[in-house]
Amino acid sequence: MNSDDQLILEFQRGAREAFVELFERYREPIYGFFRRRLEHPARAEELAQECFLALLQNVQRYEPRAGFRSYLYGIAIHMVAAERRKAGREVAENEKLDSRAVEGNAAENSDAGIWVRKALGQLEQSEREILMLREYEQLSYGEIAAVLRMPVNTVRSRLFRARAALKNQLLPVK
Amino acid sequence: MERNAQHAFDAEEVMAYLDGELEARRAAELAAHLVSCSECQEVAQGFRALSERMLSFEVERPSVGMNEKVLAALDAGKSAKASGAKDLAVHKGWKWRGIFSHPRAWAFAGAVIVLAILIIGIPRKGETRLEAKRRALSGLSSDYKSWLSKEGPAATRSDKNVYQTSTETRETDALVPEAAPGPAPPALAGDELKAPENVGPMIVQTASLTILATNYEEASAAIEKLAAAHGGYVEKLDAKSQTGNARELTASLRIPTKQLDGFLADVRKLGHVEQETRENEEVSDQYVDLQARLKSARATEQRLIELLGTRTGKLQDVLEAERELARIRGEIESMQGQGALLVHRVNYATVQVDLNEEYRQVLGSGTASTGMKIRNAAVQGFANLEEGAVALLVFLFAVGPSLLFWLAILLVPGWFVWKRFRVRARS
Repeated sequence: MNSDDQLILEFQRGAREAFVELFERYREPIYGFFRRRLEHPARAEELAQECFLALLQNVQRYEPRAGFRSYLYGIAIHMVAAERRKAGREVAENEKLDSRAVEGNAAENSDAGIWVRKALGQLEQSEREILMLREYEQLSYGEIAAVLRMPVNTVRSRLFRARAALKNQLLPVK
Repeated sequence: MERNAQHAFDAEEVMAYLDGELEARRAAELAAHLVSCSECQEVAQGFRALSERMLSFEVERPSVGMNEKVLAALDAGKSAKASGAKDLAVHKGWKWRGIFSHPRAWAFAGAVIVLAILIIGIPRKGETRLEAKRRALSGLSSDYKSWLSKEGPAATRSDKNVYQTSTETRETDALVPEAAPGPAPPALAGDELKAPENVGPMIVQTASLTILATNYEEASAAIEKLAAAHGGYVEKLDAKSQTGNARELTASLRIPTKQLDGFLADVRKLGHVEQETRENEEVSDQYVDLQARLKSARATEQRLIELLGTRTGKLQDVLEAERELARIRGEIESMQGQGALLVHRVNYATVQVDLNEEYRQVLGSGTASTGMKIRNAAVQGFANLEEGAVALLVFLFAVGPSLLFWLAILLVPGWFVWKRFRVRARS
């Protein structure tokens, strides 16, 4: 099986199937990325779509520097940030994440899911982002560092802090 | 997660090890350590449990519609790479929205607008300065004119008191010929021009009439006769008579200034006057200037003649003086010619008469065959198309850049404001 980086380079050279393969691989992860960060499923889907369209339009400008996953999630992170700014939500982000978990998505999530969302909502934003990229998007420290443009050591220490904080909230103290 | 400070591995390293992010040698050491250290095992277990717990935050799968849109865009992009403008706009949208949600971006946009207004305003300011200069100059010249009228000998003024010297009154049409029966043109006294003191304001009059004549033949024949009857003459006559079209006659006439009103009154009777304009141009300045130069040239001439007559000197000097005399005489003649022309223009008003026939279309009066007409129409049509296309291009090039500029200045921020508004309304 070809790696993501090989596929995107093949698509740059005009291989349609390469993009289809990449799309198949990342369709659900990218949707999940937006879905976990946004309130409305429809908006999440729209942004996921736009994310792939942006990839499609800018494929000729792609340079294999930090790897395809960093590139793709980099686009996605920008889109989420823009979406939040646009809606003027940044200030009330924590409360929103918290409240919408309980109100909006109760039916879709298990009880445990709701608690996780709520606990995530308590975290500081950059720590929460690092933790989510690690746990849900399965990015390596290096990839997270590339996406968020920070040193790898910072990623590691913040990830540790985030996990410690979340553990305190979610897991019973022994 | 408190750890003993003396412990070989801290919890962060255990975490990095579980994430597969610890460098190989250290990872091997930690793996060996984990087997025996229950404390570290507990830490590791804590991290694993947390990861598992976090996975309970599940999301539903995306709908199939997403596939279709993205794959459609992929195929559209493949067939014509540039045709994905809308998609690009969708992509660009978030970037731009990101930029414009920043207060600094708005400040920048404001600065650009202010700068643009300043840039556009500066030439206008320059223009007003120019206008002020022009006004000052015209004020000066009217001062000079009033000076002229005041400085003129009282006797002359009482003789020819009929002339208005202020420009405002001169410009009113009625006053010129009626109140003053035509400016008295300075006459040539032998080869000399009259002294400037004897001259009132000199006005060159022009009139132009467009007349629609019911009886074209009669009217066209009458024009020449009328001109002659009023002591004038035809300077230029141009008659056009095309089959299938109304005939027209363009005549340029010179009429003695004193006779102008009578002549115009007679011409108006020839048909329906569609347009009539009168213009009076003052040439006193030119005339005074010319006379001053003439006077000085005459004085020089006189002195040269005296020199040649009374003094004796080298042959070369004599020849030099002769040459200078010839040059001065040439200048004098030229100035006399100019003066005479000016006087003539003042004495004789120029009247432009456009006589148009009130034409009745006659069926089948055209001489061209139907085939020829169609061909000519086709040629005309093609010419029109070409002209239209060129005109459109010219228009686009002339207006396009500024239009784009203002669109960018006005519409882009407006669009973002509207977008934000819409999003707010939605959320």
